Amino acid sequence: MNDPEPEDEERYPLLGEAGRELMRGLREHPAAPIFRNRSGNRLTSEDLARVLEIEREVGTSQVRWAPGEKPGWLAGFLARALSHVPHYRGYGRTQAELEELPSITRGDLGRDIAAFVPDDLPIERMINFRTSGTTGHPLLVASHPTVAASYLAFHKKALRHFGVELRAGAGRVGVALVGYQRKCFTYVSVTPQMGESALVKLNLHPDDWRDPDDRARYLDALDPEMYTGDPVSFSELVTLPLRTRPRALLSTSMTLLPETRRRLEDRFACPVIDVYSLNEAGPVAFDAGDDTWHLLQHELYVELVDGEITLTGGMNPWLPLVRYRTGDYAELVFHGGEPRLVGLAGRAPTRFRTESGELLNNIEVTHALAGFALPQWTLLQRRDGSFDFRTSAGNATVLRAALLSLFGANARIDVATDAVFDGKVRQYVSELE
Amino acid sequence: MTREGPELEVLLRRLAETPPDFLGDPAFGASGHVHTIAVVNDVLIAAGASTVDQRLAELGKLGTPHDANRLRLAQVLAWLLADPWFEGAKCDVLPALLAASAELAPLVAAQRAVEHPERREELARLALSKLGLRPAGESEELAADRLTALSSAERARVLAASRAAEERARAIREQLAKKAAEESADKWSRE
Repeated sequence: MNDPEPEDEERYPLLGEAGRELMRGLREHPAAPIFRNRSGNRLTSEDLARVLEIEREVGTSQVRWAPGEKPGWLAGFLARALSHVPHYRGYGRTQAELEELPSITRGDLGRDIAAFVPDDLPIERMINFRTSGTTGHPLLVASHPTVAASYLAFHKKALRHFGVELRAGAGRVGVALVGYQRKCFTYVSVTPQMGESALVKLNLHPDDWRDPDDRARYLDALDPEMYTGDPVSFSELVTLPLRTRPRALLSTSMTLLPETRRRLEDRFACPVIDVYSLNEAGPVAFDAGDDTWHLLQHELYVELVDGEITLTGGMNPWLPLVRYRTGDYAELVFHGGEPRLVGLAGRAPTRFRTESGELLNNIEVTHALAGFALPQWTLLQRRDGSFDFRTSAGNATVLRAALLSLFGANARIDVATDAVFDGKVRQYVSELE
Repeated sequence: MTREGPELEVLLRRLAETPPDFLGDPAFGASGHVHTIAVVNDVLIAAGASTVDQRLAELGKLGTPHDANRLRLAQVLAWLLADPWFEGAKCDVLPALLAASAELAPLVAAQRAVEHPERREELARLALSKLGLRPAGESEELAADRLTALSSAERARVLAASRAAEERARAIREQLAKKAAEESADKWSRE
């Protein structure tokens, strides 16, 4: 099959001279890292109009429904999904209450993602997001350049809560996406809906740089208005002698401990926002700093099925979700007519047995670690009841003491603080369950 | 279709007025709340059965992608065959119900068999034919022709639709596998 590499015209259909120059400068900077890949926004003028329209909608919308009620858009969305989406059409219903329909899981999407693309959407310019997940089952998510570009609208909404309005336009770097992995997809691009400000995706791992000191030099030269990353890459970022300051940090993918967050806030003197985001659904909610997670998408209905966050609707028309079980757990609370999440606990709860036989939910472990700035960690309870705690930072004695106070003074706990993780890991595992 | 059955109009009206409960999700797997076997059994008892018919077990045999629709069609047929006409007619309704629901399951969604006029007629005529009956006032020939016309048109439509669906699914998978799709597009954050 003839499958050519895309051309720049395809990657940046609207690219102007200034944007081209900006990208060239960022790639050819003397302290620049090795950019291993190429990618672009892929937005046509029609796409851009749609993206701007979505941004306006998101900016003025509110997420609202009362307990026991459904948002107004939901019935129409369901009717359309049941008639236009092959997988849901297989339910043999033309109309139904949400609760009457089966839930779906990652496994359903993995079996045949094509069955979730509505019949009447154009497919020629679809893109995919590949996700490995923490359970080892890779998944290809059907998407579109307008969907990818619309992440920004939801980020802006979260930033606005903390009083930050993004301003970076032509000639500036709008965002640096930082990773810290042995292998990382890295490239330079521009964002048309922000006046072609630059987007730079880079890897802070020293292997990607000619000289590790280039990292601070390059990032200072970029002076990005915002950084996005995860607790691991941010824990590396905080060690660099940067002179420039971003206006916000946005963290996704992994649990951000309060102490890690506090250190980042102290270091950069800007809001650090934890966003709950999924490849399958985009940005779902953010930690608003008031002990609740505010929902971001006005056309995404959230229910809890056996405590599991279950989603219907969503920002991606190429993957309409009907009762998608995320594998993440939380509580749903209402503030007036506004639903919010509390106690977002990531993956399926794991229960650990204490010395006295009491069963503790993994959220208790996360709480016990709140005072440590750990970028990443895993806890395993072995079949014999002993524990194996592994992390990449911190003081083993102090960490062990914190865990002993949770599991009992005589619990057997091995602590390693020199663990090396590469990417997302399953955080909590019990061999007793 | 040797014997004359009830008037077609009566059956069509009854189907159009199917109570929503009969279209509920059959209870199997993780979801559903309607116990199809119990619903069908009620019809048999109303028709004079005094013991549980062993053949009901057929309904519970799962294993095709259309099981949910087959059971829902069985529920609709149970409602249809609970019409007073059948009570005194000494019909063996269970084999007819099993055969008609299995035959239609891959072709017609139960909801559509209730909502769409032609599909209602197909369901009613198919149920009668499985009972060896024809609509009142029709010749055997006319009844057979009419059922064939209804079912073959639907079969052709379903076949064409499934071919088109397969073709589109293939095109989607191909598009997603391309390098251009793989390279993805700019998101301001990653999961």
